[in-house]
Amino acid sequence: MTATTRPAGLDEALTRLDGTGARPRAGGTDLTACLSSGVLEPAPVVDLSGVEELRGAEWRPDGSVRLGALTGVGELSADTRLADAYPALALTARELATPQVRNAATLGGNLLQRNRCWYLRNPAFDCFQTGGDSCPARGGDHLYGVVVDRGPCVAPHPSSLAVALLAHDASVLVAGGGRAERAVADLYDAADPTRDHVLEPGQVLVSVTLPAPVPGERVAYRRATGRSRAEWPLVEAVARLSLADGGSGPVASAAVAVGGVARTPLRLPEVEAALVGARPGSPLGADVEESLEGLAGLCSPLPATGYKVDLLCATVRDVLGRALDVPEA
Amino acid sequence: MNVRLNGSSSPVPDSPDTTAAEHIRDRLGLTGTKTACGTGVCGACTVLVDGAPTASCLLPADRLADSVVTTVEGLGGDHPVQRAFAAHDALQCGYCTPGFVVGSSAFVDAWRAEHGDARPGRERIADALSGHLCRCGAYEGIFAAVAAACAGEFDAEPDRDPPRVDALDKVTGRARFSADLAPEGSWEGVIVRSAHAHARVFSVHPGEARVSATRRPVPGVAVDGRPVFTDLLGEERLVRYVGQPIAAVAAPTAALARAAAETVRVDYDPLPAVLDADEARAEDAPRVYTTRAQRRAAPSYGEAPTPPAPWRGNVHGPATVGWRGATAVRRLRRAAERDDPRLVAQEYSTAVQLHSPLEPHVCVASWERDGTLTLRVSTQTVAKVARKAAERWELPPERVRVVSEYVGGGFGAKNGLSADVVAAAELSRLAHAPVRVSFDRAEELTDAGHRAATRTRVALLADSGGNLAAMTVDSHGDGGIAVGSTTATLGLLGYGRSPRRVRDFDVVTHRPPGEPMRAPGGAPLAWALEQAVDTMADRLGEDPLSLRRRWDGNPKRQALYERVAALDLWRERPRGPRTGRFRRGVGIATSNWLYLMGPKARVELSVRDGQVVLRSATQDIGTGIRTVLGEVVADRLGVPASDLRVEIGDSGSVHGTGSFGSRTTTSMGPAAADAADRLRAALREHDPRVPEAGPVPEHALKDALAAAEGVRVVGERGRDRWGALSPDMGDLAVGRGMSGAVHVMEVEVDTLLGRVRPTRCWAGMAVGHVYAERLARNQVEGAVVQGVGYALFEERRHDPTTGVVLTDNLEDYRIPGMGDVPETEVYFHQEGFEHAAGAGVGLGEVSVVGVAASVANAVHDATGWRPRDLPVRPDRLLEGLR
Repeated sequence: MTATTRPAGLDEALTRLDGTGARPRAGGTDLTACLSSGVLEPAPVVDLSGVEELRGAEWRPDGSVRLGALTGVGELSADTRLADAYPALALTARELATPQVRNAATLGGNLLQRNRCWYLRNPAFDCFQTGGDSCPARGGDHLYGVVVDRGPCVAPHPSSLAVALLAHDASVLVAGGGRAERAVADLYDAADPTRDHVLEPGQVLVSVTLPAPVPGERVAYRRATGRSRAEWPLVEAVARLSLADGGSGPVASAAVAVGGVARTPLRLPEVEAALVGARPGSPLGADVEESLEGLAGLCSPLPATGYKVDLLCATVRDVLGRALDVPEA
Repeated sequence: MNVRLNGSSSPVPDSPDTTAAEHIRDRLGLTGTKTACGTGVCGACTVLVDGAPTASCLLPADRLADSVVTTVEGLGGDHPVQRAFAAHDALQCGYCTPGFVVGSSAFVDAWRAEHGDARPGRERIADALSGHLCRCGAYEGIFAAVAAACAGEFDAEPDRDPPRVDALDKVTGRARFSADLAPEGSWEGVIVRSAHAHARVFSVHPGEARVSATRRPVPGVAVDGRPVFTDLLGEERLVRYVGQPIAAVAAPTAALARAAAETVRVDYDPLPAVLDADEARAEDAPRVYTTRAQRRAAPSYGEAPTPPAPWRGNVHGPATVGWRGATAVRRLRRAAERDDPRLVAQEYSTAVQLHSPLEPHVCVASWERDGTLTLRVSTQTVAKVARKAAERWELPPERVRVVSEYVGGGFGAKNGLSADVVAAAELSRLAHAPVRVSFDRAEELTDAGHRAATRTRVALLADSGGNLAAMTVDSHGDGGIAVGSTTATLGLLGYGRSPRRVRDFDVVTHRPPGEPMRAPGGAPLAWALEQAVDTMADRLGEDPLSLRRRWDGNPKRQALYERVAALDLWRERPRGPRTGRFRRGVGIATSNWLYLMGPKARVELSVRDGQVVLRSATQDIGTGIRTVLGEVVADRLGVPASDLRVEIGDSGSVHGTGSFGSRTTTSMGPAAADAADRLRAALREHDPRVPEAGPVPEHALKDALAAAEGVRVVGERGRDRWGALSPDMGDLAVGRGMSGAVHVMEVEVDTLLGRVRPTRCWAGMAVGHVYAERLARNQVEGAVVQGVGYALFEERRHDPTTGVVLTDNLEDYRIPGMGDVPETEVYFHQEGFEHAAGAGVGLGEVSVVGVAASVANAVHDATGWRPRDLPVRPDRLLEGLR
């Protein structure tokens, strides 16, 4: 049996985690799954649920909000103030996992969860993440693997919220060895096959800050899956489009992010640039079409993930179509 | 740290390694909360934590502290949604039901608080229950139940009893499944499995466990808790797949057993393995079996004895049958030579489908001091397990008792002395304690059987009149180390008597063995044949319904075709090429199946304490036979069903039919009727006021039962008019006539994202008399769900280098959820089996045969692309539509 400590404050939690080999625990959903499947060996746990600094939503004068890492995934869509202010995040949160998981899982845990590779989660295999020196999925069955191949590991990043937060230009506060604010994108490193985020043992993700909401922005989220619900995405995409003239004009700026395709969530700057000037209710313009076709150039498919090249383009097309009310061809 | 659970306070463990589900089930004994997937996917473990549905298998137990928890037991049984589930028969086996009920209760309460008595739509319900899976596929009933509860239809106790007699036990969590049993002092067993796909096993070291029996416990002396070990490999020291049982250990707790299993050391000499059916056919491929004796001992997933056939390397076959086979082959060859447009020659493949019942294989075995062996086991075949156990442990039949009161699904996989049973019995003998062996989900999805993959070539030739002139089917079954494919052979059964030759082959590989699964061979044959028939209709420029009406001489199916022709779903289907992103299509498929029965079926009725007690060794895996038996007897005897007690699932009573081969109801129903007639005759002897037929007056019944205390009669199944087509082959005979089905499926294809969404389905069944309409409909609806899963999602996948099954969890092995299934209408054509005892035959299998094919034909209708390989994953669909 391993011990659990329940610090009431962040400093105490950091002390408990510092060099002890203990593991932080937020909602515990992925941790429990990793323990039962043998991805992780039992170790002492520092339960963060009592740490006040990790809770709550702080609405700041500049309009931004700081969300504690323990904010429930379910709250992101159920809290009407949050959902109204950040509809893209709410849409994403509503579609991931299942109600029973969303009710227990946390924002921070979702961002820092382990990937879903069936080799990682099978005790019969060693991989870079479990002390091995190769990726068994690369030469094995990687049907659900990356299509943008930027490192030795081929498991797509599992966090849907990271995709949405990337589209929101959100930042995170990390404590442990000092406190530092960093961009959500900098939580991940595609080139490092040994882990799914870059936090060191002993560090804790304290909060996520979203910039002030953009009133009237048009948003959409889509995950491409086989079944209709409760399935990890083959590809997922978030679009946020802010329109000129208080929402009645053309697209003034766009943020489009995708997941399921690479070791980290990705922004699509070419697509975003091409969207500027697009008008709702009209077919996508030639430059947007060209940028979508250009997504193929981003891809470096594995032998079995070639289908994701088309699917990436299709999923982005779908969210743009919905965000802009593009008439059906 | 305390939790307020179902209204009372109790401490929670301070261990991060214990899940809330384990705490609730194992420590608190509240077994209404089930565990099935262990990964938060299936929802069987759902509890309310501070009102919110939560997956308790992913929740650390200590996180329950300071929260208010409601389990299914805490709902009490009178939540409107529980009444609604019972009334709408929103369940079959019942294993997932408590989780569904708990999740639904939260949704219903929240919905009504916000919307009053409005009725939510299917999409809204599917959203709310997306974290629940039902493998029986009782989703139609669940949609209806949840909507009705939301609408306020079940705020009061309904007037009528639910259609299923044990529904209340299942919706309250009171029904105890084998997985819920943990007798006082029982030990836990763990199976040690092969890490290699092919190896010689030099030695198996038991580690810290002992190989000899523990000393018998003596009162007052502490139990010797040292783990015990048993070898499961047998004489042949070879393993032929990853996951093959090698040994088992048991210890007083699960944690100790797992720790002891860790210390077992297996020394292997790895041998070359072949993991792919195509590679296995190569001349120089490593051989799975090298000697005649090995080949003869190969396991079989056929339901009948494997027909004799030659072996060449890893290929067994062909088993060839046909009528005028040479003529068929000659006609097809000539047609190919002249490029006859009326020749359709196509190849299709199907993936491995896993039964994945939500209750795993589980057995609690105990040896009594007198040498009696009791097996409490989750099985479809109580009588067969008892017989095989008596054989294996050389016991007289009366010294073996097999009990299976509630069975959490089977679909063909829980069918005999599986590894859980053997390990539990062997370990219990050594431990002098009851031993429980339960598969975890990875074991269940690796080595608990599967529907074999197939590759099937169909050739059809139409003559100038558009009639079927010749047909051949060649099929290779791919069931791991097992043989027994009958996919092609079933091609004899349909579409008249035109010349045909059908050949079945088995290709063996170093992968886990298949088991029979719901209509073995039937579903893969239909996938190929029904698509080829549609292709022929295209070629002939004919409507696919009209072609089937011409080709299919079966009068019962003709009646179904007539209904189809009048269906709005069929008549108003879209015609011509479809454009746009979302394309709707409608497809049809025909099914037929053998009428099998168990001639030895028996039902005992006795009068005990003034009550009629019905007993038999048959078992209810969710089909509803417990209900059917009671209803048949009540109706025939003229007494209220509430005056009956039905006790099944116990080998200690008269022989009961196994639940496979679609034969439970058609065998047991007539035996129950016969028993009722015999008991009525006996009662009449005691009290002449009991009439010859019709209801028995209440006072007469009471007096007669009092006078007849202790009377016991046994009803028999009886013969069909004109007898059976086959002799009795161990309580299995082939009856006259074929059951039939026709499925009409509507799909909507998202051509952008590659998703197929089945929207509506009509399932017409021709199985003669239907004993219990709602329960039968439930099974047919569930077959549609499983067939949709087969067509679109389900696929076992393995690592190509090691043979390790990768889809060993319910996240990666994808069974359909509420949002993936069509709104289904079921029609029963109840004529055509008047010659059979009881006038009705089984429907469990015929209801699933053509479902996947109807999806495929609908996809083709919508898009013009014909899916050759199932499942029709998004990547395949997008590739097909490029």
